[in-house]
Amino acid sequence: MFLGDIPEAAVWAIYFAPMVSFAIIAGALLLRVPQFQDQHASNLTIGAIGISWLLALWALDTSIGADGERVGFDSHLWMELFELRIEFGVTLDSLSALMMFVVTSVSLLVQIYSTGYMHGDTGYRRYFMHMSLFTVAMLGLVMASSLLQLFIHWELVGLTSYLLVGFWFDKPSAAAAAKKAFIVTRFGDFFFMIAVVLIWTKTGGVFDIAEINAIAEHHELSDSVLTGFVLGIFAGAVGKSAQFPLHFWLPDAMEGPTPVSSLLHSATMVAAGVYLLGRFFPAVEASPDGVHTTIAYVGGFTAILAASMGIVANDIKRVLAYSTISQLGYMVMVIGLGGFVAAIFHLFTHAFFKSLLFQGSGSVNHATGTFDMRLMGGLWKVMPITFWTFLIGALSLSGFPGFAGFWSKDEILLDAWKYDKFLFVIGVIVAFMTAFYMFRVIIMTFVGEYRGGEESEHGGHGPPHESPRSMTTPLIILAVPSVLFGFFALNGFGTFLEGSLPEEIRHFEFKLEPVVVACSVSAALGGIGAAWAVYFFRQPAPEQLGKAAGPLYTVAADKFYVDEIAEDGVVRGALDRVLGPAAAAFDKYVVDGVVTGAALAARQVGDMARRLETGQLQAYTSMSMLGVVVAVAVIFVLSGNVLER
Amino acid sequence: MPTLFLLLPAVGALLALMLPRHREHEARWIALIFSTLAFAVSIIIFIWFDPDTPGYQMVDQFAWINPGLGGFEVQYIVGVDGLSAPLVLLLGLLTVVAVLVSFSVEHRVKEYFAYLLLLETAVAGVFLSLDLIQFFLFWELELLPMYMLISGWGSGRARYSAMKFLIYTLAGSAFMLVGFLVLGLEGGTFEIEALTQAPPQDALVPLSLVFWAIMLAFLVKLPVFPVHTWLPDAHTDAPTAVSVMLAGVLLKMGGYGILRIALPILPEQAHDFRVILAAIAGFSVVYGAVITLQQRDLKRLVAYSSVSHMGYVLLGVAALGAVGLSGAALQMFTHGTITGLLFVMVGLVYERTHTREISEMSGLMHRMPLIGTVMLIAGLASLGLPGMSGFVAELTTFLGAFDAHPAATIAGIFGVVLAAGYILWTVQRVFHGPPDEKWAQLTDANRWWEYTAMGSLVVSILLIGIFPQLITRSIESGIEPIARIFEASA
Repeated sequence: MFLGDIPEAAVWAIYFAPMVSFAIIAGALLLRVPQFQDQHASNLTIGAIGISWLLALWALDTSIGADGERVGFDSHLWMELFELRIEFGVTLDSLSALMMFVVTSVSLLVQIYSTGYMHGDTGYRRYFMHMSLFTVAMLGLVMASSLLQLFIHWELVGLTSYLLVGFWFDKPSAAAAAKKAFIVTRFGDFFFMIAVVLIWTKTGGVFDIAEINAIAEHHELSDSVLTGFVLGIFAGAVGKSAQFPLHFWLPDAMEGPTPVSSLLHSATMVAAGVYLLGRFFPAVEASPDGVHTTIAYVGGFTAILAASMGIVANDIKRVLAYSTISQLGYMVMVIGLGGFVAAIFHLFTHAFFKSLLFQGSGSVNHATGTFDMRLMGGLWKVMPITFWTFLIGALSLSGFPGFAGFWSKDEILLDAWKYDKFLFVIGVIVAFMTAFYMFRVIIMTFVGEYRGGEESEHGGHGPPHESPRSMTTPLIILAVPSVLFGFFALNGFGTFLEGSLPEEIRHFEFKLEPVVVACSVSAALGGIGAAWAVYFFRQPAPEQLGKAAGPLYTVAADKFYVDEIAEDGVVRGALDRVLGPAAAAFDKYVVDGVVTGAALAARQVGDMARRLETGQLQAYTSMSMLGVVVAVAVIFVLSGNVLER
Repeated sequence: MPTLFLLLPAVGALLALMLPRHREHEARWIALIFSTLAFAVSIIIFIWFDPDTPGYQMVDQFAWINPGLGGFEVQYIVGVDGLSAPLVLLLGLLTVVAVLVSFSVEHRVKEYFAYLLLLETAVAGVFLSLDLIQFFLFWELELLPMYMLISGWGSGRARYSAMKFLIYTLAGSAFMLVGFLVLGLEGGTFEIEALTQAPPQDALVPLSLVFWAIMLAFLVKLPVFPVHTWLPDAHTDAPTAVSVMLAGVLLKMGGYGILRIALPILPEQAHDFRVILAAIAGFSVVYGAVITLQQRDLKRLVAYSSVSHMGYVLLGVAALGAVGLSGAALQMFTHGTITGLLFVMVGLVYERTHTREISEMSGLMHRMPLIGTVMLIAGLASLGLPGMSGFVAELTTFLGAFDAHPAATIAGIFGVVLAAGYILWTVQRVFHGPPDEKWAQLTDANRWWEYTAMGSLVVSILLIGIFPQLITRSIESGIEPIARIFEASA
């Protein structure tokens, strides 16, 4: 639009710049280069991602100039084996350009924030190495033109999440959370991989995303294949985007450093599932109605389930984590309803304000040494920047009129209104709950009297104070999109975004439906008001409310026992206590036992023929040779003299 | 060239044996020099090998036994094609690694290295032989050094495990020899290529029996359920280098035998039994992985993971299509480097902690960051992480096998999830957690041979993972003639 069209090499450079910083840091750590100091690692990472960000802006500019339609680039052969031909390439259309912009922007700000937050940590360089690798993987995921390329980066993103959640691996809870995150998401990837193999087999060797979408759209695949494929990638998305029933890894993933939560577990990585469904939106649209309904209801159910857990959690990061699950549920729901634009728009605004909220929680932790909101309070006076930016983020997330989250949430509710009134009701209830728990956080954290804090993960602290500039600057910067980016809705954003879809399924038009706006605004204001009533004026007091809710409160506080069912029931119970030992015993006593039994029987025979047992290897070998000769001889005798035939 | 590769280690073994007892420590240098030379030759073979030329290359041949009996002869004939060239390279590499990790051996050093080198010659003979009788002789020759190495330098119930290994293999190879004799007598030649061109149509015994007789030996070696129980015992009690060789190259003899002999010579039988083979494969993958999850001994854990991973080889084979067979061949190579590295790492840990009980270890990452990191890399490769070689092989196998055997393939893909479970569970238990006072004295990897052994395998895993074309061209040319047989029959 403003600049010339971006060349292919520059798009690749977006991807390779952080890879270079990763390689340099990894090399320096491996060779133990003494001159390589902490600030070298962070400067390198920030510089590389800065370059990516500038180039991503260029790519976005190019894409806007092309009305969001796909800009054609060549693909490059990676591997060839008979009919298996794997090519890699970059896709540049509105969807990928937008995602590149989101990933590089948030990543850049998070890296700057990390220089303050991680200051003095012994693993500082390792941290930035992993962060560089994450950015590479995430960029590779969103720019991939082939399904397999996407899958590869999808897995690498999972790896970096594992490494970063378990960054403080000496903490057993962090090590366990890292493992849990990887294995649970991989369970989703199991279905994703089946989908990859299935679509390759049934299309006769196609990996190209655009081609797969075209094939699906023209109904060249049978319904069952298409259903299998879409449900497969959906299962992958359920794992990655923490949807019910695979949502339970995400709250535990908060064991990682807070900037990691801010980047991976709110803004980018967990949104990858929604991106995946958006990328294959034409295929999703072409799949049978039952598939859409499944997707929409899984999303809607997740949204309300997670919101209810968010209301009762006392750990500020966990509230934000449940909120992330809930908002992702919104996006998944609306994709199932056919609202491509609404889902991606909400992904876009959510990335900024949720990253802001997480960084705010990290700033609070920096000051108080805890994430437990019961130990906070009154921080607005001592941490004005953190407070005001956090408030902006909370208003945006709550859907306060005018803020970014309002516009995107409104799109979601509008689609729900149009296509499924029941999900619309769910959506409004979730909006109310969201506003409620966010202002519960605001009141418990920033309002009232300070309740003491705790020893922090960085050592002791005096009275709370505002965080260093390196941390507050990203907060201020992120506050801008959290307010303003919603106005893109008025400005052709939907049309631009739909440029990445085939023309036949574009149907977006911007409009404000009075009923929807009224419901959405009253839910937001009602939630905020209710939070003030309960947590500030204590009318009714939260304890009373908890008592009144009775078992519902307990069940929500216990996370609906999903963790217990999955871990103690399925993994530890069925796999570790029943199936595993049974298989191991079977292996030992039956499979091996038959052999040992045969050996024992042989020994009985051997005892009778003890004189033949010399205990020498040569003797055994010759015995077996003799056996062979006898066997062959018997065959010969039985079948006549073969040599004369 | 292949003959040189075959003879170099044998010569090294002889030289090592000739050392006087008081200078026997120099045997390690002799072993290193000769294994490195052999590795260099294997690289040259791999580079010289031209994937665009069909058939065997660099063939050395002369008549060996020519008794005029029935008009056929037993001959010495070796050569490489696209199937054996990568395996020869793998053998060259892993033997050097095995020699390096043996530098700490102190007991009867010269015999140890002589057996190790003899093992290389024997396995090389299996990979290079183009004649059934010769193949069989090298197959049997491999038993002697293996038996001696496990029983003489092993730990725990070493003699029991060595004997178990021996009996399983001998039982299998007895059937194999019967099968070979029937094939040779029927076809009038023992030359593999000639038999491939004109497969016997019928014989004294039903050819399906011959097929299973031969397959039994290969399936035991691979190994797959239900003939796998020798493997965990052999691995657990073997010295580190022998585990590396066993997992890295010896298991590949089974897969190689299937691809080189069983499929091309008995294609109809393979086609008839493909569903059974796929069922065994899919079951083996999941069964092996579930049992791996139960292991409490680090080495046994890696051993059982091999049962699971070698199931992929059989899965690719059972597909009987070009892509699936290539996946099997790729999996053999990549499993060799990945599991080889895992055993190297387990050995390095054991050398320091003197225990293999997972429950006794924790927080080792604090004391040995390098060993922990490389172990994690090996583990990630083993669980099929993209960017590493295992992913390429598993993906190719799944893509190739899904159409023919969807259920077995899905079982195989599920094995990948279970692999994530046992690998990450192990890493968490052994390396993560707070530092343990008990292990405060441990040192990280700090000797040049340790660096070299780890480094060479890590590099090969990453290289193939990022640039699979390095090896796929060779494999494509090796699989092409086999795949053509099945395409023609289909």
